[in-house]
Amino acid sequence: MRLKAIPGEWIDRSSEVEFSFEGHAYRGYRGDVISSALWAADVRLLGRSFKYHRPRGILSLANHDINALMQAGQRLNVRADVEPLAAGQQWRAVNTFGNLQRDSGRWLNHLAKFLPVGFYYKAFHTKALFPLWERLFRRLTGLGKLDFDTPHLRTPKDYDFCDVLVIGAGPSGLSAALAAADAGAEVVIVDENARAGGSAAYQRGGKAERYQRVNELLNSVVRHPRIRLLTSTTAAGYYADHWVPLVDEQKMTKMRAKSVVAATGAFEQPAVFHNNDLPGVMLASAAQRLIYRYAVQPMQNAVVLAANADGYRAALDLAVNGIKVAALVDLRGKQAPSRLADAVQACGINIFHAHCVLEAEASADGNGVAAAIIAPFDAEGNADAASTLRIPCDGIVMSVGWAPTANLLYQAGTQMQFSDAVQQFIPAQLPDGVFACGRVNGIYDITQKYSDGERAGRDAAAYVGYESATTLPQIAAETESPSHAWPVVAHPKGKNFVDFDEDLQLKDFENAVQEGFDNIELLKRYTTVGMGPSQGKHSNMNALRILARLTHKSPGQVGTTTARPFFHPVPLSHLAGRGFSPERLTPLHHRHQQLGAVFMPAGIWQRPEYYAQPGQSRTDCIRGEVAAVRHQIGIIDVGTLGKIEIYGPDAAEFLERVYISRYANLKIGMTRYAVMCDESGVIIDDGVVGRLGEQHFYFTTTTSGAAPIYRELTRLNTLWQLDCGLVNLTGAMAAVNLAGPKAAEVLAPLTELNLALTEFPYMAIRETEVAGIPARLMRVGFVGELGYEIHVPATYADALWQALWQSGQAHGIRAFGVEAQRLLRLEKGHIIIGQDTDGLTTPLQAGLNWALKMDKPFFIGQRSLQIVAQQPLQQKLTGFVLAAGYSGTVPQECHLIIEQGDIAGRITSIAWSPSLQRHIGLAFVRPDLAVENGAIAIRLSDGSMVNARIQPTPFYDPKHSRQHYPAQEVAA
Amino acid sequence: MSLIRKSPLHDVAAALQPEWGAINDMPVALQFDHGDGQRMATLGIADLSGLWRHGLKGPGSIAWLEAQGIVIPAVNSWAELAEGGLIARLGRTEFMLEDEPNGTTARRVQSLLAVERPYGVYPVLHQDAALMLTGTAVQRLLRQTCSFNFMALDAATQPLVLTTMVGVAVTVLPVATADGVHSRIWCDGTYGEYLWHTLLDIAHELDGGAVGLNYLILEGKSQ
Repeated sequence: MRLKAIPGEWIDRSSEVEFSFEGHAYRGYRGDVISSALWAADVRLLGRSFKYHRPRGILSLANHDINALMQAGQRLNVRADVEPLAAGQQWRAVNTFGNLQRDSGRWLNHLAKFLPVGFYYKAFHTKALFPLWERLFRRLTGLGKLDFDTPHLRTPKDYDFCDVLVIGAGPSGLSAALAAADAGAEVVIVDENARAGGSAAYQRGGKAERYQRVNELLNSVVRHPRIRLLTSTTAAGYYADHWVPLVDEQKMTKMRAKSVVAATGAFEQPAVFHNNDLPGVMLASAAQRLIYRYAVQPMQNAVVLAANADGYRAALDLAVNGIKVAALVDLRGKQAPSRLADAVQACGINIFHAHCVLEAEASADGNGVAAAIIAPFDAEGNADAASTLRIPCDGIVMSVGWAPTANLLYQAGTQMQFSDAVQQFIPAQLPDGVFACGRVNGIYDITQKYSDGERAGRDAAAYVGYESATTLPQIAAETESPSHAWPVVAHPKGKNFVDFDEDLQLKDFENAVQEGFDNIELLKRYTTVGMGPSQGKHSNMNALRILARLTHKSPGQVGTTTARPFFHPVPLSHLAGRGFSPERLTPLHHRHQQLGAVFMPAGIWQRPEYYAQPGQSRTDCIRGEVAAVRHQIGIIDVGTLGKIEIYGPDAAEFLERVYISRYANLKIGMTRYAVMCDESGVIIDDGVVGRLGEQHFYFTTTTSGAAPIYRELTRLNTLWQLDCGLVNLTGAMAAVNLAGPKAAEVLAPLTELNLALTEFPYMAIRETEVAGIPARLMRVGFVGELGYEIHVPATYADALWQALWQSGQAHGIRAFGVEAQRLLRLEKGHIIIGQDTDGLTTPLQAGLNWALKMDKPFFIGQRSLQIVAQQPLQQKLTGFVLAAGYSGTVPQECHLIIEQGDIAGRITSIAWSPSLQRHIGLAFVRPDLAVENGAIAIRLSDGSMVNARIQPTPFYDPKHSRQHYPAQEVAA
Repeated sequence: MSLIRKSPLHDVAAALQPEWGAINDMPVALQFDHGDGQRMATLGIADLSGLWRHGLKGPGSIAWLEAQGIVIPAVNSWAELAEGGLIARLGRTEFMLEDEPNGTTARRVQSLLAVERPYGVYPVLHQDAALMLTGTAVQRLLRQTCSFNFMALDAATQPLVLTTMVGVAVTVLPVATADGVHSRIWCDGTYGEYLWHTLLDIAHELDGGAVGLNYLILEGKSQ
């Protein structure tokens, strides 16, 4: 039922909203949430519990009503207690079989005794029954029905910045924000609720003063030029350096604050008694929210269960809004006279001190409350079940205590301690730049909350350099505990729930502790307390108290479980956000596309794997490209190679130190193969070093090594303080390799450089022009043919390609991709770092002894290699061939070589060689097996064996005659 | 004129079929459509890769630049070149110079360094993708793409920021103009298409998009 209009209500009575729930049509108002609109329509059954499918209604109305999760189409597990009402939506409760009212899962409630704590673990203990239980659990568990056709939602992510971030816009938070802003700080204040004001807006105690004061404060905050107020926004976690993700309906904002004030308040905690989960049993704050936010009558005839002043205020709020309060049941003994108690009694409400609610009596249909059965409750927390009193009512309002919303404080590294005075954990030592105020700080008195907020706000502003001149306010201690130490009532019939997410009862905890799970972390995992969607916001504190009592410890000794981000569930779409996956493309990428390239990732790059030809298979395309290189002319984009320049008097010395070969004696105009090791002597990169001047070198690295190698070289240059400088040209220079017997004929018309072997020998480097473009040419032969690696500034790459392509037409030029290159180099026996080497391979194992100059004064890895060289080799990289005409299953890379039942090596590369007309490969093998023509046996995935023979590399053109060409100048 | 240079963003711009012009032997998009002006006011992204630029680094770079009569900005800031264009100081001894369409300083520096090779001065070839962001929504785009707080910068002090944007290392500098604060961005050209596509996707959501150079530098609205 709706109440008459209330000042501050959130609903717009001029705007009706039609919707449906479980197939029935309802009306609410704009500003309603689903639960409030249904409750106003006298719907009490909002959902079913997770395990026993018990009827559930409103508990918190604060974003934690996990038993009122709903689904509308592709939107599932929507929290009805906070979801704004929108026209035309068709909601259904999740976790039901059939429908909510006649849920066939209800029978599980009667099988509770067969579903003890730890049931999952026990069920899965028997291996034979595992499949049965798995099928059953998969059918019974899970919330909501996922539609796999749900479209991918692209949500933006924002970064934002402020001096002071205040989390929570209740009385203390608003006060903190205003104080910080007045001191000069730029402030952002966030609140998960649709409107700011916090508890002061609905815990009114039957009067208007609290609401009026917080409203005045809110107006000051809204008007303040240095404050941004963000509502419906959750501070979902805390990360280092005050980085807080703020989640709203649209997106996640990564807020980088200079200081943070946690004014996060506290979660009201339920009392534990028999049938405390019936629809109609709710937290006092939920009833107050219903009244003051949505003008909905929570019940007609209430019993208030209290253990603090908030309970008395709740009774007054009910009474002044026309709800009959049949009794106020106070867990505590007789209290000192107070104006609140007088006011309650003045309303004609009977107060039962030192009493508890023993049980809630269910209504006839089982979906509501018929009466509260109360009983005397002694100081030790024992109920006298023999002296009960039945009080008819249709709702029970619980106000027995609070748990601090300290999740973010824990995540920030706050040391918390249990305060007996307020019966909760409070901050003992806050991290630098983090401040707390209000209930999370153990401050509950409304006046003190404002002062505490002002103090925290000013402290936070001062932390970032905005000092206030005036004296900080003094904060008085609480005069009574806002939380009861033992709001738990045992009952022989159980069903006194501690965790409403997981349907955990008091006896479950008793049994778990009896079984030995008597540590809070173990208890959590065994019982699953706090592991449901609300993450223990209503259960952890009671669970902790129960464990403390069972183990004869204090709550402080028991401690809490670890609080991890996120504090509140965040939609995966928000977490994923817009995808930022950087990708590098060479300046010739679109040329490759035009030629039909099929791309493959090479680290962060996209490289042509091969060029698709109409009507040809992948293999045929690759072999066609190989044939073009071997017999005519091919061109490949090698712009992904790392390209680095080094200048200075010590440039040669620097290269001597980082590579295993010698470069001080490298002639100007020549290049040399370069292998780099780490300090343990393991090969980490290779390339070619070219000398362009006495103090000027240009060298390449592998594609994947470009960025890390440059970074490492920069580090080393800083460390060694040599007189030289490095310039990274990886992206600034494009490069192609023109390879094949016709390479000189293709290149000659485009350059004035004399390409004759005598003038431009194998392994030489020249600076010249190609097609009018300034270029560096290297005579290298990775693929085993006459080849020119041509490097030009990246903006000229397209023009270079066009010129070469045009010149090559008469010679049948063809682009070749990475796969053809791999095959061509394998025929030549050239290794690929990372494929033919691994994280343990030394130059000695890789057969690179010829490049290793151990007599140099120093190079990185030298000392390790001196030690390694004293040891016998464990493995050696060597070539092998399969038998000519072999037609069986071809071994693959990483297949093992087996010798007398033991692993004796593994394949690193293998491919069909068109030149040799047989399969060839490289493998690490035991040195004693790496003898020419020696037999090895390779084990396939199916266990069968394939025989192969060791063959020295290069497989193709072992005398390198094809690279020593042309002898004479080539006619242009 | 022989147009043999190509912007790292040429092909993605070409897909939008702009009206073409040329700067420094490179085709440049002059105008994409009649909406360029509106997009520039809201959130425009322009390709300025065609501007000539060159860099240098090394312990002798400051003295050498001073000897050439070129102003030396403070670390992490930039200055205007006497002949138009800018010099950006990327580190203690690293600089990038960029000419306006008719400027010659960067080109002159490149030519000198190719011949002279002075001690302690190392030429740095720049083939960057160069962008300009314009319009009222620039900050919104920056907030979605970069964790640096550009709002805290004062464009009047000519600051320069080396940071990452959508995972790419970039150099960013805010430029105060009569039309408001624009942002210049440079990145390695091989990341250019990725950066362009990513920024353009977001710009479209913010009612912006690509703009040609007609509205920016070719009609006198230079930085």
